[in-house]
Amino acid sequence: MSVTPKRITIEEMDLLCRRQQAAGAPMPWYGGPLNRHVADGDRRLLKLEYDASPAALRLWNFLLTEEDRLHQAREAGRKIVGTMKDLGTVPVMAYALPNVVAFYPDGAWWTPCVMELSEGLFALAQSLGVGEAFCPVRAMIGAFVNRNHFPIPDLLTCSVGATCDDFSSIAQRLESLGFPILWWEMPARRHPDPDEPAVTLPGGFPAPASQVALVRSEMERLRAALENLAGARLGDDELAAGIREANRIRAVLDELRRLAYTADPCPMPALEMLIAEMLAIHFCSDRAESAAVLGELLDEVRLRVRQRRGVLPEGAARIFWVNPVADLRMMNLLEDCGGRLGGTEFLFCHALDRIPEDLPPLEALARMALADPMVGPSADRAERIVRDVQDFGAEAVVVSRIPGASHCALEGAVMGEIVRARLGIPVVEVEVPPIIDPMLPTLRTRLEALTETVFQRRNV
Amino acid sequence: MKTVLYSSPFVPAEWLSAHGMRPERIRPDPSASAPSVGPLMGMCPFARAFAGDALARADAAGVVFATTCDQMRRASELVAMHGRRPVFLMNVPATWQTPVAARLYLDELGRLGRFLVRLGGSEPSREALCRTLEAWDAQRERLRGALGLLAPRRASEAMAEFDLDWRTALTASGPRAPGGTPVALVGGPLMRGHTQVFDTIEQAGGAVVLDATESGAWTLPAPFDRRRLRDDPVMELVDAYFGTIPGVFRRPDEALYAYLDRELAASGARGIVVWRYVWCDLWAAAVARLRERTGLPVTDLDVSGDEGAFAHTAGRIQAFMEVLR
Repeated sequence: MSVTPKRITIEEMDLLCRRQQAAGAPMPWYGGPLNRHVADGDRRLLKLEYDASPAALRLWNFLLTEEDRLHQAREAGRKIVGTMKDLGTVPVMAYALPNVVAFYPDGAWWTPCVMELSEGLFALAQSLGVGEAFCPVRAMIGAFVNRNHFPIPDLLTCSVGATCDDFSSIAQRLESLGFPILWWEMPARRHPDPDEPAVTLPGGFPAPASQVALVRSEMERLRAALENLAGARLGDDELAAGIREANRIRAVLDELRRLAYTADPCPMPALEMLIAEMLAIHFCSDRAESAAVLGELLDEVRLRVRQRRGVLPEGAARIFWVNPVADLRMMNLLEDCGGRLGGTEFLFCHALDRIPEDLPPLEALARMALADPMVGPSADRAERIVRDVQDFGAEAVVVSRIPGASHCALEGAVMGEIVRARLGIPVVEVEVPPIIDPMLPTLRTRLEALTETVFQRRNV
Repeated sequence: MKTVLYSSPFVPAEWLSAHGMRPERIRPDPSASAPSVGPLMGMCPFARAFAGDALARADAAGVVFATTCDQMRRASELVAMHGRRPVFLMNVPATWQTPVAARLYLDELGRLGRFLVRLGGSEPSREALCRTLEAWDAQRERLRGALGLLAPRRASEAMAEFDLDWRTALTASGPRAPGGTPVALVGGPLMRGHTQVFDTIEQAGGAVVLDATESGAWTLPAPFDRRRLRDDPVMELVDAYFGTIPGVFRRPDEALYAYLDRELAASGARGIVVWRYVWCDLWAAAVARLRERTGLPVTDLDVSGDEGAFAHTAGRIQAFMEVLR
């Protein structure tokens, strides 16, 4: 079905859906109009604008039915692993087992946004002593306690050490409420000392070989726990196959990002790209379908690029976006202000980089885990951003702060300083709460000032 | 002798000393917490003040940070970027149940030793290391003995004096606190001048019977086992520090609550005053658990480090003490 690329409302999206259904177009079991999710409480959908394509419709439906998939998995007798904090590593291991599904309970941080605070997760977290001084991931604790969202996992894992204190504290509170956690150590990644054996991690960060060995031994512990849970062997062959599957998805995302962030006019809106990237971390609880969803999205983008058609006017300001946003609407706002995504670093670039396939699988996964931008120096993260900004040709950087997050204040300052010094491009910090509506004028002003600056710099 | 600054109790001072350095565990000056040091919003006042002090101390040869909290880990980057002296970030594992965690701590001691040698220190012989550890252990034992005889404020100051100069002469002078409603002070580390909180509690009719702040005696390492020390001094350090000191950052954090269960019961505390810096997530999340676990009334001080804001803190303490009466 041919549709003019543009951003459309939920009503228009549902019209597109009905046309597809009438035309007998194939639709996955989870397909259908988005409005049914609004009826389930996902009221934020009414305020978003979507890419006008069947591929985007499929993406959204896939995302919004994840909890259903998890409950189905439980009913089907599959084991469920809640993998907390590492953003991309443990799910690769879990999905290498046939009867295991992994997901990030951390993902509940978007529930208050999607349900426009109607679900009461923040209030529940507050009643348990985890108030608004913590980042929105505190919603997770509410979701565990009220059991209204995801099924309670059979195994909970959490990486700690060089992680944000918010998460470590919230997870500890969770354990104190009776949810046992397998904690595993993630050391603060450092630069190798002179003459110290070192390796280059996926993404290019250097790390001491000793740190990789430590993480690898923690991966062994995780492997044993997963095998015990699944009652099945998780050998190197199975892990290697799991890595290959993960890399297939990463390869699709790699091309998708390259096209979406560089082609002019912009072929895919920021909001859909944020969702697409998120699929990399745990495949939205269905690895095979995740690959299919992203494949269809890539086909759509390829077609638009070939036809030189886009969702925004040509010449939109190319903005490199750092950190995920607590309110999805922020991605629409960027485009409303004359910007577009010109690259991203949503805190999980290690889940997008290819996992080495020429190494023993746990060694490869350990290297990937240690490449997490959160576990290393902010200066490393800034260097990665500098490299990607140059690679994608972005013209400005937005560092999107997560309210209450222990890492954001200092990290943003360090990264901003380095990016400005190295590239001489504008950098702004904005704080994005779970619902931006009361802040819209302020955020709009900041983003418009940024895009205007970009346009002026083009004329200099 | 060159001075090395640090703050975390998980940095073994005797290890620095054995490498020929003068360890100085500082309680930072709140006034060093200037906006120029780092962002005001979102940055822990203690981390900012420590970074400010570290940047200002021209006499220091190096600064050692620990990964025991995210804010200090990232503050180490600020000091490395803007300061002129070498910075060492010591990986202190959050997990503790596995040999891997202890091994990491051990390896980090080795790396810290090499850092100290690069600063101009020297690697100690085994015999010299043993002697240094024994000397520190003996002095710490004297400190422990003195702490039990001192009034709470004076005890906290004695800890600070020991941290600045471990050979300091310990005086047991100063009367014990007059009887007041017994409370425990639990939470993050104190900054310079913050010992006034002990006076404030006393003036409000209370008495601190347990100092479980990160500047208190619970952050002291365990006494060394002299036989094991002679067998393997570095492993004894690992056991005494990493294997013993509870920490709010540890996962799981059972050791902290086991310590508090024991000491709160022994002290007879009837309430808990939590000394928590704004933006400190680790202690913020502990407040509700302290209430649940101990069943004691708890007040959460939310300290900004700003002298002007201490009046608010004092008001909160007074109200709490009235409730406890």
